[in-house]
Amino acid sequence: MAGDTKFTVKAGLPQAPRTMDVNAAEGDLKPWDLDRLPEFREVGKPHPRLEGPQKVTGRAKYTQDVMLPGMLHGRMVGATIPAGEIVSIDISKAEALPGVRAVWKTDSKLIRFAGQDIAAVVAISPDVARDAARLVRVLTKSKPFTVELKDAMKAGAPLVFSEAESPAGRDVPKKGNVVGPKQGRREGGRGDVDKGFAEADTTVENTYYLPVHTHCALETHGVVASWEDDQLTVYASTQGVFAVREGLAEALGIDRKNVRVITEHMGGGFGAKLGPSASGSSFAVVACRLAKKAGAPVKMMLDRAQEHLCTGNAPSALMTVKIGAKKDGTIVALGFTSYGSAGIATGAGTSGPAGALYKNNPNFTSEEYDVFTNAGPAAPLRAPGHPQGAFALESAIDELADALAIDPLLLRRKNESSPVRAAQYDVGAKAIGWERRNKKKGPAIVSAGKVRGIGMANGNWYVFAQDSGISAQVKIHRDGSVEVFSGAQDIGTGFRTAMAVIAAEELGIDPMTIAVRVGDTRFPEGPGSGGSVTTNSVAPIVRAAANKAMTQLFERVAPVLSATPAELVARDGNIFVASAPSRSMTFKAAAGRMAGEVIDALADRKRQFATFRDDIAGMQFAEVEVDTGTGEVRILKMVSVNDCGFPVNPLTAENQVIGAMIQGASWALLENRIIDKNVGVMVNPNLESYKIFSPSDMFEARSILTPVANLGNNTSTAGLGEPPLVPSLAAIANAVANAIGTRVRELPITPDRVLAALASARRRG
Amino acid sequence: MSLPPPPPPSDDDPKLRVTRRNFLKTASAGAVATSVVGMVAGAPTGGAAVLGPGAVPLTLEVNGAVKKISVEPRVTLLDALRDNLGLTGAKPACDRGACGACTVLLDGEPIASCMMLAADAEGRKITTVEGLGTPEAMSPLQAAFVECDALQCGFCTPGFVVAGTALLNRNPDPSLAEIKAGLAGNLCRCGTYGRIFEAVSEAAKAQRAPAKRP
Repeated sequence: MAGDTKFTVKAGLPQAPRTMDVNAAEGDLKPWDLDRLPEFREVGKPHPRLEGPQKVTGRAKYTQDVMLPGMLHGRMVGATIPAGEIVSIDISKAEALPGVRAVWKTDSKLIRFAGQDIAAVVAISPDVARDAARLVRVLTKSKPFTVELKDAMKAGAPLVFSEAESPAGRDVPKKGNVVGPKQGRREGGRGDVDKGFAEADTTVENTYYLPVHTHCALETHGVVASWEDDQLTVYASTQGVFAVREGLAEALGIDRKNVRVITEHMGGGFGAKLGPSASGSSFAVVACRLAKKAGAPVKMMLDRAQEHLCTGNAPSALMTVKIGAKKDGTIVALGFTSYGSAGIATGAGTSGPAGALYKNNPNFTSEEYDVFTNAGPAAPLRAPGHPQGAFALESAIDELADALAIDPLLLRRKNESSPVRAAQYDVGAKAIGWERRNKKKGPAIVSAGKVRGIGMANGNWYVFAQDSGISAQVKIHRDGSVEVFSGAQDIGTGFRTAMAVIAAEELGIDPMTIAVRVGDTRFPEGPGSGGSVTTNSVAPIVRAAANKAMTQLFERVAPVLSATPAELVARDGNIFVASAPSRSMTFKAAAGRMAGEVIDALADRKRQFATFRDDIAGMQFAEVEVDTGTGEVRILKMVSVNDCGFPVNPLTAENQVIGAMIQGASWALLENRIIDKNVGVMVNPNLESYKIFSPSDMFEARSILTPVANLGNNTSTAGLGEPPLVPSLAAIANAVANAIGTRVRELPITPDRVLAALASARRRG
Repeated sequence: MSLPPPPPPSDDDPKLRVTRRNFLKTASAGAVATSVVGMVAGAPTGGAAVLGPGAVPLTLEVNGAVKKISVEPRVTLLDALRDNLGLTGAKPACDRGACGACTVLLDGEPIASCMMLAADAEGRKITTVEGLGTPEAMSPLQAAFVECDALQCGFCTPGFVVAGTALLNRNPDPSLAEIKAGLAGNLCRCGTYGRIFEAVSEAAKAQRAPAKRP
């Protein structure tokens, strides 16, 4: 394009560099590449997170901690039946309770899941609000309901939506509660699978299942809403302050300029906090309305049960994988079919990994079906659909390896299309000790003994970025202090610190001295933190803004150092002439020479350009111990090997990788949303019977990041939040199969399922 | 975590007598079993301190300072600390003692402050995460959490810091198994457990050999 800037760069893996020409937008900076990698002063080095001292001393203020003068406390009231008609909602008793300041009730006439918004109250204390919530009287007429995936698929199952009401697209086939088939979202199909299966020497076909999981962020959804005339300020526990601003302005019919959203610290989201309220509740809109009505700020935090019921979940998945291969292991056909329930929402597809991995296979097809149930709508949960899809696909790959009597790692390597993943196999195999894996087949015959197994699985993700409509700002003050501004929020990933590191690299100063201001719609617009986009969307503009600011400072001090600005270098808190380092001054002294009080530079995001790879490669290895007497599975060790372009701050990045792996382990062994079929209500909406991984479950966890000069933006950063959850479930399932010689195809792998699998394998002989 | 002993009896103020309606909300946790009979029969018969139903004055000793507050007897220690004293380090996350985010020290022992009434904490020494250190002067364990990056979103972190402090107070040289056991009542959804174990272990080392610290 006219005005493009062409750069020739060294891309790819450090051990196999490749020269690439990229066309960046006009004015973009030369991308950091493999030549730059060894010269980084701050990027790629470990940096403790900037807000750490605030968080470990209890001073960090989350939405849950916001206290405003005169603030009232709100409480949502949810439906207690899974399906029915609302006959009446009587709020008079609640309104009459002393201390109650305002009450809201829904206009909706239909209930489609237990937990759906019915009413809300605000009162002078959380306890009075709870009393008032109990006084809301709801008269309903119950209707038949269906809450389980397999039941909802049956002919004659109670309909969650009539055809006219269905939220699925008009052109998608519908049959009862089942919607589809839809072609896999991202990869579609290729080749001719029937021909492929006809040519295959060996074909395996199996079905895998996993239930619904919930996000379980420790801070529940919530807001504090405060009006001053027509100006609305909202503190929100959100992954997207700008999405909250947009959503609330639209719902309330006000100008978005009159809405300010603030998220200084937030207690976890994992995908459920991307919208203005939540996928199954309008609590934030209600809180704003009630704050207006009551004439006082309102804090509306959901409780733990509500968090499970109406703020999203990861869909269940029932997946059938059919793979055909030649005797030597070459995959020649792959068919993937998935049914899943996102409750009353759509979006349960899981075919991403099947379409993206093993691309050398010419014949692939996928079909995805959404099945409606009377349960809360799903929300994205860390690589939506991918941990589920990889569980099925990568279990099936191991089953194919068994059928072919080929080592499963060799089978994957043989079919590998990514040079990055090809390099990762050796790294991971060495770290787990792959050669110790059981080579014998068949069920473990030891009675009441402990057996060990090792397994691995691949995962995939994509290079997503928001590459327009966002900007960042860097200020150098006269006293030498530096501020970085991005409206995007730090949801616990270390985004704040990563931006300090990027700016520090460009300014030649210590990142720990930079103040990074994030999570406020008054700052330059940033992306929502979903899809693993935050760092790689914002890093290139922080770099650009810092570069702009530094250029201005160089112009100011170049004459003093008897040099041109182009001859100056900033490093270790000094500015000096590249050819004569003794001609130098400190960054602080240079700042003191600026004309005004501040150098203020703003940079807009420029478009993405060519990447080395358009996917993010990762794999995980697991070693487990299974007690064949009790069926208990313990994970001993897991290794993640992951690419994220250039890691900005490995200390926080590896923390995130290991955290995702633990979440995956938690899904694989423990987590299960259970809805009572008879009453249609979740029986474990808490943290003691909805089990998540605890310290006592913890294993030895290792993260290995493999840097790749991936380009796409001027910092070669890529996403990391989601990919490390993708392979975990399958890696653990494969390790369990390697330990006990038979396979559990349903998650979570609980003791009863292990014992049933062993018993069934013994019967088969 | 052990159940704390019942609180000392407070003044027998007739205004504070229990009503049938409020009994379950106001009976002190340590004295429920004995007072039920008395309540049903009529006036309370001693043993249980009877408060409420309206706001009552309480004196709490928090982080070494004596604080006077006025709260309804049903208010939990967690809510009193957060809403009445502005100490928001301890977090509400599960509201039923399952996650440990609200952990504080009561006479040095870690307890779930969401599971205790504020009134039952009178006369006890309460330490919250704020009392262990400040951003400028962190405790060795807090500093180790930052150094090891033993946190992500940080919402569970105050609970882990308090539980870890209690563990190190009673066992200055814990093994990995002992660290896991000592923190078993706390949950972290971001998955920072391994780093937390490392931080506790590093802080233990630092506390055992303070002279060797840089």
